[in-house]
Amino acid sequence: MTSLIIFCAIGAGLFLLLLLAMVRRPSRPEGSADALLGARHALRTLQVSLLPAEVVERFLARDDLDYVLAAAPLSIQQLFLQERKRILLAWITQVRQQITSLQDFHFGHSRHFVQMSLTTEIGLAWEFAVLRMECRALYLLVVLRGPYGAPLIAGKMAGTAARLCSISEESLAFLAPAEGRAIPDDSARGDAHV
Amino acid sequence: MTALSKHQDVRAASRDLRLRTLSLMPHPLDRLIYLASTRDYNTGLYHHDGLASRFSDEVACEALADCHREAFHHLLTSSLEDIVRQLEAYVEVSRTEPVEFIAAWRGLKPYQVAVPAQTDPLTAEFLFSNLRVALAILESRFRRSQLAAPGASPLRSPGQ
Repeated sequence: MTSLIIFCAIGAGLFLLLLLAMVRRPSRPEGSADALLGARHALRTLQVSLLPAEVVERFLARDDLDYVLAAAPLSIQQLFLQERKRILLAWITQVRQQITSLQDFHFGHSRHFVQMSLTTEIGLAWEFAVLRMECRALYLLVVLRGPYGAPLIAGKMAGTAARLCSISEESLAFLAPAEGRAIPDDSARGDAHV
Repeated sequence: MTALSKHQDVRAASRDLRLRTLSLMPHPLDRLIYLASTRDYNTGLYHHDGLASRFSDEVACEALADCHREAFHHLLTSSLEDIVRQLEAYVEVSRTEPVEFIAAWRGLKPYQVAVPAQTDPLTAEFLFSNLRVALAILESRFRRSQLAAPGASPLRSPGQ
């Protein structure tokens, strides 16, 4: 009986591995360069425009809401909430789009450029799945409860996206010499990332 | 000119610009509007005679572009309360009637052409949205003060 359970467990494991291998999209070299550039662009958009800590903090800033509630009439309060909701929904949509682009690159073409272990790939797939779930949940909560309805999930989503960006950055690091070394800049641009 | 020496020149020109010109403008909004006004709408290039004579046209252009991006970033990360304050100060400095100013900014939306090139559309839209709300707050404050005291100076916040 025990050996039957062990064989069944091994069988189930092998079946799962087979499923995983089938789910992995066939990777073709053609179109890989485009996918690579797309991924690079998605990564840059996320890091420079959508995920800098200061910008995300401002999107979600509670002090703006407190100020409007204290200093503005009801009509302006409504205008403010509508505007923030619109911006936040657009932000979530864009983060999701760029993350999807990165995910497509990782699961479709990255093995042409980088050697990635199966464990890393599974870890990455998990992170992408979690992030997409967080995006959906946050979108729904913002629609239902307004722009200040889910600050914790928003912060968590930004954190997961930033983590995925740094993993992607490592796998795209081999492009850096081709792009030329960045000259250090001491001006106060403040492009800090979450 | 090598890339490194050009970069050093651009940094020197930016420092010069901040010291001589931008230091006279205390708020990012003032600096954003001023720097946008030094940009040619047809070419997207910035011009500043004084800076170009000390450095070169190209270096001056890049220094102005850098400072423009910096002003945009500072304004983008300002709180709404701060943006209202900056807008209020800008109205005072521009010596325009607040009613006319608000009407012009509502209608013409001059801030939409004041963003640096290649700004991400979402971050630009966030700033525009904040400015729209700030204008509405300013207008309501102005109307309130007009009702309270028709002859009084219209744009003084309670804290001032």
